[in-house]
Amino acid sequence: MLMGSVRNEPAGEPTFEPMIQIDMEIKAFVSAWKHCDYVSTYMARMISQNRSDSVRHSNLFSSAFNELLEVAFRTRHTDGELACRVSRHGATDRIELTIPCVPEERQFYQEAVSHVAGFEARERYLNSVSGDLAPSREVVLLELAVDYNATLSVEEAESDAIKLVVDLPLEGLQH
Amino acid sequence: MSPYDLLPRFKAQYDANNQEFSISGVIRPQAIDELGPSLALLRDAIGRVRGVLYINVRRLTQMNNAAFHAFSRIIIDACRALPDLKFVVITSSVVGWTSRKFGRLSGIEPNITVEEYDSEFYPGQGFLEEGGFVPILRTQTKLTWRHERTILPRHGMSPGIVMADICCGIGDFAVLVQKEFQPSRIVALDHSISSLDYARRVMREFDIRGIEYTYGDASEMLLDEAQFDLVTCRHSLQIFNRPELILKELYRICKPGGRVYITNEKNSHCLGEPRAESIRWTYNEVAKLFAHFEMDVELGPKSRRYLIEAGFEDIRVETFMVTNMDGDPQDFADVIVAWADVYAGDMASRRGDGPEFVARFRQGFQDHIFAALHPKGYAGWPIWVASGRRPQ
Ligand SMILES: C[S@@+](CC[C@H](N)C(=O)[O-])C[C@H]1O[C@@H](n2cnc3c(N)ncnc32)[C@H](O)[C@@H]1O
Repeated sequence: MLMGSVRNEPAGEPTFEPMIQIDMEIKAFVSAWKHCDYVSTYMARMISQNRSDSVRHSNLFSSAFNELLEVAFRTRHTDGELACRVSRHGATDRIELTIPCVPEERQFYQEAVSHVAGFEARERYLNSVSGDLAPSREVVLLELAVDYNATLSVEEAESDAIKLVVDLPLEGLQH
Repeated sequence: MSPYDLLPRFKAQYDANNQEFSISGVIRPQAIDELGPSLALLRDAIGRVRGVLYINVRRLTQMNNAAFHAFSRIIIDACRALPDLKFVVITSSVVGWTSRKFGRLSGIEPNITVEEYDSEFYPGQGFLEEGGFVPILRTQTKLTWRHERTILPRHGMSPGIVMADICCGIGDFAVLVQKEFQPSRIVALDHSISSLDYARRVMREFDIRGIEYTYGDASEMLLDEAQFDLVTCRHSLQIFNRPELILKELYRICKPGGRVYITNEKNSHCLGEPRAESIRWTYNEVAKLFAHFEMDVELGPKSRRYLIEAGFEDIRVETFMVTNMDGDPQDFADVIVAWADVYAGDMASRRGDGPEFVARFRQGFQDHIFAALHPKGYAGWPIWVASGRRPQ
């Protein structure tokens, strides 16, 4: 594991202080489902220590982060690195997940994130809960917005990868 | 398969008497087949019940969307097929995401309601979580600390340990322990938001580090198993109508080889001279009053039995008496004033006690204060300390 280095933010953007970063070969990551649970639980513990309620924060964070990792788990690209990085600005924790992906998936993420931002996000999510299909990757991302007040965006990463940026204002969700 | 895979991380149960289906633990399956038996159990329960099926997710700590969808679909389908059947989902205020996630279901089917199980853990809750108790706890801890600071090392307290204080109240004990013994970490849990706010404010103002306050329910905590060298729970087992459930949780979070430390009272043994008779009468009545609200403030001497029955070994019990001679007798008197306020005030009136009873009841407290402040008087409040080791 390496601790992330400080990144220069464009002016106007709040500065997120890096807290922790884990990089893994995607091959190794997708070799066992339980990695999602391990990584989300471990990182949640590490970054929650100095939150006002570390135990509850860690539970919430792990819950949201695990969903993201499960999304990444479904990548169809079998090469490259999965990078998870968490940084913090005030009450918001930012997860940056760099996921290797094939070109169609890249487009999928872009569309999914635009749906999440749309005003009908909640409705789309509710429809999926009562629908037949197991939750798609898009639904999982919608749920983060609906239940955790997350905001999502995608950034271009290097070739064959996409960077998903998820801001989680979990401190505000607590009592 | 690694041991991890073999470990059941969640449990689904159906209780026919209460028409309650409950799911607990961590449910993060990759494929829905892994949930086969649990889903079948839910379908089966739906087939058996009449009227209402309770879905209890209070002890569910994690559930991924795949699993949530699988369980929800069965419930939603049942609502459509059986319009007379109602579902009540019971979530916990402690697990932040459950109420939000399950709450969506009621927007989909009107026959599903979601209730956050929160207050009413035990009958006397109201008295203890509201602000009235704060001054009592504050002064009580000041008095008991004089004794406990020398007692604690005999029950597993030492520098550098990892400890938890469950039902920590306003956090005074945690702060005193932090200063005196410097454990490496203290997790302090309570179910009173106002007490925790107060505790956090104190921590900020005095720049205290190393204490993590957390909101939780002592009978089902989010804390992981086997992580503390010492788990303390002071003056609190006695307020639950089922103390054994709390002890089970204290045991669970304690490391094998670590200790659980509890303190409790036996209120009828409070004493004083002069005016011993009146004092004794009143404290006997205190015990009865608490019993009325299903709290056992006579628990102290029963600690040994409770610890044995919870599976602890190497049990140590000792008692100490807080008295008016410990320091400033006014401190002792202040505690009695606070007791009288709540016991002969709010609690007595909620029980429906008449003015005559209340007058005599108050008199005993007055006499106890009199004994405490009298230059030749003696006033005492006995406490039972007990601890047990979790077997290796
Ligand atoms: C008599 S006080 C003792 C407080 C503290 N240990 C002390 O000695 O000052 C009992 C405490 O238990 C807390 N409590 C009540 N029910 C609880 C529950 N279900 N889970 C956690 N704490 C609870 C109350 O909020 C209160 O602070």
